[in-house]
Amino acid sequence: MASLIGSYSLSFGLLFSVFIIFFSVRNLRDNEILDKKIISFTIIQFFFVVISFFGLIISFINSDFSNETVFNHSHTTKPLFYKISGTWGNHEGSLLLWLLVLTLFISIFLLKSNQQPKRYRVFTLLFQQVIIIGFFIFLIKTSSPFNYIFPKPNEGLGLNPILQDPALAIHPPILYLGYVGSSIIFSSALAAMVTSYVSKEWAKHIKKWVLASWVFLTLGILLGSIWAYYELGWGGFWFWDPVENVSLMPWFALTTLLHCILVLEKKKILTSWAMILSIATFALSMSGTFLVRSGILNSVHTFANDPERGLFILIFLFTLIFLSIFIFIFFHSEKEKLENNFFWLSKETSILVNNWFMMYFLSVVLIGTIYPIFLEVITANKISVGPPFYNKLILPFLIPFLIAMAIGPNLNWVKSDFKDKFYMTIFLVISFLLSALIIKQFDINFLINTILVTSAFFLFFSTSREFFVKRFRNLSQNIAHFGFSLLILSILFNNIFSNEVITNLKIGETFKTEKLTINFENIEQEDEKNFKAIIGKFNVQNLDGSSDILNPELRIYNQPNIITSEADIKTNLLTDKFMTMNYVQNQEYFNIRYQVKPFMIWIWISVILISLGGFLSFFKKKYEI
Amino acid sequence: MKFINIFLIVAIILNFNFLKADEIKTENKIAKNLRCLICQGQSVHDSDSEFAISLKIVIKNKIQEGLSEEQIYNFLKMKYGEWILYDPVFNRNTYFLWLLPILIFLAGGAIIIKRFYYKK
Repeated sequence: MASLIGSYSLSFGLLFSVFIIFFSVRNLRDNEILDKKIISFTIIQFFFVVISFFGLIISFINSDFSNETVFNHSHTTKPLFYKISGTWGNHEGSLLLWLLVLTLFISIFLLKSNQQPKRYRVFTLLFQQVIIIGFFIFLIKTSSPFNYIFPKPNEGLGLNPILQDPALAIHPPILYLGYVGSSIIFSSALAAMVTSYVSKEWAKHIKKWVLASWVFLTLGILLGSIWAYYELGWGGFWFWDPVENVSLMPWFALTTLLHCILVLEKKKILTSWAMILSIATFALSMSGTFLVRSGILNSVHTFANDPERGLFILIFLFTLIFLSIFIFIFFHSEKEKLENNFFWLSKETSILVNNWFMMYFLSVVLIGTIYPIFLEVITANKISVGPPFYNKLILPFLIPFLIAMAIGPNLNWVKSDFKDKFYMTIFLVISFLLSALIIKQFDINFLINTILVTSAFFLFFSTSREFFVKRFRNLSQNIAHFGFSLLILSILFNNIFSNEVITNLKIGETFKTEKLTINFENIEQEDEKNFKAIIGKFNVQNLDGSSDILNPELRIYNQPNIITSEADIKTNLLTDKFMTMNYVQNQEYFNIRYQVKPFMIWIWISVILISLGGFLSFFKKKYEI
Repeated sequence: MKFINIFLIVAIILNFNFLKADEIKTENKIAKNLRCLICQGQSVHDSDSEFAISLKIVIKNKIQEGLSEEQIYNFLKMKYGEWILYDPVFNRNTYFLWLLPILIFLAGGAIIIKRFYYKK
């Protein structure tokens, strides 16, 4: 029943697109003010999608297996929370979520933009409708969440256990808020070009959307990363996996746009660049969806693949890109010569430098991700592009980037001198000594590690100082930049000083190294609702006499029948102790992996600080300095 | 004399431990740079699949045979193809992969510099 209602309300939602377009076009011709009807219709369309979404959630809660999506991804013994999160833990449901956010955002946009010119608002709505209609058709045609199965099966196939996790339950919605937020930026940029509204006012207006999308995208990536850290059981938080890269690319584009908008808000320069970035951000979000959904990428995250769907998104994506190129060429004109005067050493230049490096990082990730696909199609050679590639191309460039980031925010607009030369030199010297002291161990990597850590410390000190110098002026930017320096420092220390032990142990056995002793004391078995847990008890004794009890777990899920291993992590401010226990077929022993990872929690904290910076900036009345 | 003997033995043992530690380090480093072919986007080091376990043993043996890191990569490349290497080799197929980002970086720099010269 719920499925039936959901299915019908989807069709009604699509019908309303027709009304909206009809009235919008009429409104564009006839009236001076925005027709109230259009706003009502947009909100009604949103409500139809909400009903449809709730229809799917209710089908999941009731375990209505006559619905194909529910049958494929749910099971009666699954806890209620994961029944609900299962709604978007699959291809069809996650697309419905996309659509939900699309319609929600355009409603908010219309309600919140009454200070803006009418034509601009209507055109934004029209472009957004093009996207919305595309998603409606995609959903209804190729991936309906409401397909009917007859006869009704008694039991569902279950959700992949590694997706049954609180962080992953909220990861897709948050990430989608970021992705879909970029659709508003896209539509509004096209509308601004068509109505010649690319201006400081536009920048001021769209900045809120850029910030909101950026904060959500940052948090979404963070959640995914935290999930990968404790759930995938190999103790890393970023693997340069194609699907991770795909979320990182819009993030780079959005970060660039965020900085570019700051300039545009001040004076009317870099307009073409801002337009290109607005278009690129959305195109990257869309192609992310395309690459993940089409199953082209070899990745842990690919949970749906169907070439027909991939083809649809590809055609849709190209339509949107051609549309935007067309509008950019024929409607956009650069009338910015008048204000185009700033000098070498100025805030403008430093933002350009930011944009330059961001684009470089983006291009490394983009090329690294899609190059293997093209190479395979053209030459049938399969190559892998993994962490070593990204490290080699990104790490050296991080050094000038961090230094520029420390200097840039202190510069004035238009023309500036190096300020605080004294402090900056001192900071640089201290940073270098500190890094050399910390790294101390001389080996091949000594030089690059020291220089990297030095530049990160340099940024760390100079942003810390700004808290005292500038106090509450520009607090948001300062927090974000400080967070970034902390992030780089934590990642570097984490990489350089991580330690691990991998061994096979039977119950009762002990493993010794110079630094620690691992004692496998015993195992216990527990029965949960949808899995059986085998919990190991390990006693790890450190060199300094302290000891930790760690309880990694093996979970044998009933539906689908999969064994997963759950890491046990002891976190404190300085290090994480991370242990997993893996089942080895036909053996009495277990494979034990024990890792000591310094500053792990600071990686999460610093990303939260970065988002907090964006969040604070959202409430700031006006941009200053 | 006895003294020297003991000293020598201690030195050898210490050295041996060093070698052993280095071996494990290289082993892990190599395993981290290899794709586990039967897994979904996992390195050999991170995986506990049978393939990964047997490959780790192969790496260990090869190191003990005295092969260098480079030689081991080449051996595995011959056996499993380039797909196994996470660090793509620089050759005809990958010129663009390695150089395009650098070219983009240079082009970006050129555009920024041009802005300033164009004005004057």
